[in-house]
Amino acid sequence: MAEKIKILYIDDEMENLTGFKASLRLDYHVFTAVNIPDALNHLAKHPDIRIIFCDQRMPVKTGVEFFEEIRGTHPLPVRILLTAYTDIESVIDAINRGNIFRFVKKPWAPVEIISAIEEANRFYLANSMLSVRNDELQKAYSELDKFAYSVSHDIRGPLSGILGAINVSREMHDIVEMKEMLFLMEKSLKKLDTYILSMHDYYSLQRGELLISDIDFNKLVGEFKDIYKIYSQTANVDFKIEINQREPFRSDVIALKLILNNLLSNAFKYQDKSNNAKSVELIVEVYKGVANIQVKDTGVGILGNHIGEIFNLFYRASSQEAGSGFGLYNVKSALLKLSGQIEVNSVLNKGTTFMVSIPTK
Amino acid sequence: MQLSFVIIDDTELDHFIALKMIRNANKKFRVKSFIDATHALEQITAGDIDKDAKVILVFLDIYMPLMNGFEFVEEFEKLDEAIQNKYYVVALTSSWQISDINRVNSYRSFKKMITKPMKADELSSLINKVTIEYSIHL
Repeated sequence: MAEKIKILYIDDEMENLTGFKASLRLDYHVFTAVNIPDALNHLAKHPDIRIIFCDQRMPVKTGVEFFEEIRGTHPLPVRILLTAYTDIESVIDAINRGNIFRFVKKPWAPVEIISAIEEANRFYLANSMLSVRNDELQKAYSELDKFAYSVSHDIRGPLSGILGAINVSREMHDIVEMKEMLFLMEKSLKKLDTYILSMHDYYSLQRGELLISDIDFNKLVGEFKDIYKIYSQTANVDFKIEINQREPFRSDVIALKLILNNLLSNAFKYQDKSNNAKSVELIVEVYKGVANIQVKDTGVGILGNHIGEIFNLFYRASSQEAGSGFGLYNVKSALLKLSGQIEVNSVLNKGTTFMVSIPTK
Repeated sequence: MQLSFVIIDDTELDHFIALKMIRNANKKFRVKSFIDATHALEQITAGDIDKDAKVILVFLDIYMPLMNGFEFVEEFEKLDEAIQNKYYVVALTSSWQISDINRVNSYRSFKKMITKPMKADELSSLINKVTIEYSIHL
């Protein structure tokens, strides 16, 4: 069942408060306050109070004054004034100044209060939805800026390299030199290709829906074993795998593959070339509905002051190998969708361990 | 040779191209390549680049991981003036971004900005300009 809507009612007459609560408490979560300090106390403890009813005629402060005061500090709750006809002037004034959403005249009938609550709640939802959308839009804008910057470097970079190579090839006659350059051109093009593929991953993670199915980690990891087998042999990196799954696990297979693939490819890529005992270790343990995945390498490690930034879009903490700046950002986005978490431990020149935990869906 | 070169770029292909072009201009030019700007800065600080050269032309890429071109120049401008005067820093970048161009122009150390791919005549006119400015006879 959905949680009850939280309502606060402030009135200096105790019997009004009691009557209000008695007739509404079944359908709503009602807080009452006999004075303003009490009311502020409730608001501080329950920031998710959606609607505030306040009596106009109170000692110390009027309802309108109270609303004016909290408008800045608590802009989200919808404000409704309870008042008798004699106060009509102040009501008009308050509505015009935008301090209150509605007023209900005293003595009130439950049906009026309920209709006011329902409408105020709709208003509240529309407003909060708007602010969520606003935040999302802000984030999209700032990522778009990063994209525009990255396009002019990460896409134009390899292209201008290829163009430059074609230019110098006009004065090149040695076939060995030519082949060396073609090899470097191929490397640049592969980097561009990786960039475009990762951009596709980025897009599907931001916009795509999850597709939940049963996950067999033995089968899933088996695929990676084959992919990295050749690499592990040629680069002389020992690939150790340990899987412990004795219970079913449900998740999105594409997002899981993306996480594993990015972590594993980083682990192989950023090895310390001078190390004679290079290894990558993958440990998967499914226990009590949580999959714990560890990817451990004997690589170059990450400098402490870069650790906080490695999950940022387009951040690259090494010039050793071609990175797109997408990989770990995509891992983080995938984990966000799967409600998972990631931690990293790294020692420079010793190695890095990524620890991921993902709850079953 | 009184003029020599340093290339700082994180892309191997771009090193290869710049090296080829410099050698095409004059086979005897000495060139030092750095994939990582921090290493270049260390050697420049230590005065290890080329003791015989009167001036060293630096082709500096802007968009690099770890230390980018701007960060390099900020550190470079903290060095002794005697060291700084020996280098002629040129931004060599694939970017057309206005923000990059403006930022390059805001540093006194960037003498020029060239957009990749560099053309052979851009390089030769740059070499001409530097040789005249530093009265170097090639």
